[in-house]
Amino acid sequence: MGYIELDVLDNQPKRIVIGIDLGTTNSLPAIWTDGRPEVLELEGEPALVPSVVHVKDDGTAIVGRSARARSLDDPAHTIHSVKRFMGRSLSDVDAADLARLPYTVSETERGLVQIEVRGKTFTPQELSALVLREVVAQASAAMGGADVFSAVITVPAYFDDAQRQATRDAARLAGLEVLRIVNEPTAASLAYGLEQRKEGTVAVYDLGGGTFDVSILSIEEGVFQVLSTNGDTHLGGDDVDALLMDLVAEEVRTALEGGADAVLAGPAYRQGARLAAEKAKIALSKDPEADLHLSLPEHGVHVRRRVTREEFDALILPLVERTLRSCAAALGDANLSASDVDEVVLVGGSTRIPLVRARVAEYFGRTPHTELDPDQVVALGAAAQAEVLMGGSRDILLMDVTPLSLGLETVGGAAEMLIQRNSRIPCSVTEGFTTYADNQTGIDFHVLQGERELATHNRSLGRFKLTGIPPMPAGMARVGVKFHLDADGILTVTAKEESTGTTASIEVRPSHGLTEGEVEAMLEESFANARADFEARRVVELIAEIGTMLRHSEANLEVAKERLDAESFEDLTEAIAAAKEAQSSTDLEEVQAARDVLDRATMPLATVLMDDVVKNAVAGKRLGEV
Amino acid sequence: MEDRPGASPAGRFLTPLVDDASGALRPVPEDVSPFAILGLAPSMEVDAKDLGKRLRAITRRVHPDFYATAGEEERALAERNNAALNEAYETIADPARRADHLVRSLGGPTEKDLGDMPQAFLMEVMEWNEVLEEAVPGSPDLASLATELEQQREQTLARIQAALTPLPPAGDSALAEVRRALNALRYLERALSRARA
Repeated sequence: MGYIELDVLDNQPKRIVIGIDLGTTNSLPAIWTDGRPEVLELEGEPALVPSVVHVKDDGTAIVGRSARARSLDDPAHTIHSVKRFMGRSLSDVDAADLARLPYTVSETERGLVQIEVRGKTFTPQELSALVLREVVAQASAAMGGADVFSAVITVPAYFDDAQRQATRDAARLAGLEVLRIVNEPTAASLAYGLEQRKEGTVAVYDLGGGTFDVSILSIEEGVFQVLSTNGDTHLGGDDVDALLMDLVAEEVRTALEGGADAVLAGPAYRQGARLAAEKAKIALSKDPEADLHLSLPEHGVHVRRRVTREEFDALILPLVERTLRSCAAALGDANLSASDVDEVVLVGGSTRIPLVRARVAEYFGRTPHTELDPDQVVALGAAAQAEVLMGGSRDILLMDVTPLSLGLETVGGAAEMLIQRNSRIPCSVTEGFTTYADNQTGIDFHVLQGERELATHNRSLGRFKLTGIPPMPAGMARVGVKFHLDADGILTVTAKEESTGTTASIEVRPSHGLTEGEVEAMLEESFANARADFEARRVVELIAEIGTMLRHSEANLEVAKERLDAESFEDLTEAIAAAKEAQSSTDLEEVQAARDVLDRATMPLATVLMDDVVKNAVAGKRLGEV
Repeated sequence: MEDRPGASPAGRFLTPLVDDASGALRPVPEDVSPFAILGLAPSMEVDAKDLGKRLRAITRRVHPDFYATAGEEERALAERNNAALNEAYETIADPARRADHLVRSLGGPTEKDLGDMPQAFLMEVMEWNEVLEEAVPGSPDLASLATELEQQREQTLARIQAALTPLPPAGDSALAEVRRALNALRYLERALSRARA
């Protein structure tokens, strides 16, 4: 594997920084290698981790593909789309979303969302941390077991301070240092190397599994700036599938007449219909027609429904038109029109649909970028940014702006903004405050984010109390409070009483995030799980190793089987069968044993092959030359 | 490299945020002039293109992304210096903020010392307020008021620009007139956003 680079001077492995697209539906790691970003692969497949956590009956969690596999037969213990809850309180979350959840969601006394499964409660940060751990484990396995401690993680451009902070806390819980949080559309533009433009305007159109985002960016001499964003948190490939599933249901109703409802409500039907819909959708991206095909022999269901491209296009046109209305709104906010856009970048698997590409091209009047895999673009951009952070390049510079204004609640309940939206970050503002009563030693602050006039209409980021002001008459104290928004858009507050030079102490209680103490407590708890995590990671590595060994031994067995003795041949065939079985196991001992058995069983084969090499090498040469 | 103001022999823009020879970050006092940070002499005349170029060039030397693997202290300094750079840029890029800064730095009155507007302006303010209070949102009266306010804003900015070009000596009486014009500008901007709402 070519990933572990050594620093020749002190012979230390070079620190590895990966880029992670932490998505609503899937998460994906990428790394910069040989002068370009590359998605990490296991067994020739991208190391994609479905952002799904399943809690087993013994209370342990499984993550990724195996968790997603449980979502239909055990939805009550399988958590999807946790990104929708990051840094949010219950009142922020869409009521329809909540109603649809098959598990209980409650709120801590501070308004944090928590998810209850099997009598245990999880914060979104903890669940996201589980997904991140799995991503890191896969990435590490893909790099031959290299340690990964640092990452660049992407978030939607519209994420506020609380959501960014929550993402950062999740990484910390996963034992990962976040070197930079990058906006997803900016990452997508980086992946296409658009920073090389002298100047221009970019539209990033991101139609994923369940969400749609559009962002308008400006680029000037390598400097990126998000001008506006818009979107729909409930619009994506899942909606396309649902439309096709309706067609399947129609067929089933016709075929079964009575009794169809019982079949349609069953999990086997739902799973089958979803698969049929997905398959037809993918086929329709290249073929003029495709069949929706569903066979459930136990219910006597055998339906086939032909869908032409024209019919499919007509079916999904309203969805596509909705995305274009969002594009118009985003352009309006940026004071631009569609013809001002110089480049269009497509992100998300649903942008493979030809109608989507055609309508987007028509709307902006130019051919969108589709050279890169739309499911990988964001991760690739994150890896490009990781390279900048490692000191590899100063050509790329992300000069971000804060998406929302930041301010304080004033005495009358109004919001006074200190940092305006679209201010370049990092930025600092120092504001002077004084006391209104004699000998007052503390001042309360309520930090807000948003664009509304009234404090209650904005998002509460947290409250803090300034204490330790020396006693003096009202209005005499001069307290300078400094708000600093860092390059990731995360806020820190410091304060000083200027007339006496006293540093006032501040206790920030985040409204939606975890306090420092809570993160510490969770970290400690997670050390208790460290062994289990280590085992899970080892299993992934071993399975990857088994895959490589299987490929080699099967290929060579074909070549050399006549020269292998019968016993060795039988041993190896058995070991190969056992190893294939172990590839779907999660039990460390079982996987380790299968790998060791396979390793031993391949020895005779290796000997035969070595003999060949030696024979070829010495053929026609005299002894003295060998 | 062409000769340009505030550039080092190597052609880089000089800024107190960075040591030009070593490229190392330097701590700066809070009250350092925004013009100095961008390598400029104080002036009301600013070339927006040149200013943007300076911002990008200096950002390439101070942005926290380029100190991601440095020690905690250096990373914190990069955050502070880049914040100072952004603040300096915003101050200079906006003509009203730029004029406000110049009036203060030349010892002129702040808006707390001198809160009134030019005499000639006051009569008009009363008329405008009447329209603002009585007109129905979206009415043609408001639309024509917005046009008038916009013109006034342009003219007031031009007067400020002229009064500060070249810069008057420190403590000059012209600074008080600029302060009054700035107060008028603030009124105009608030009235404009009401007229357009």
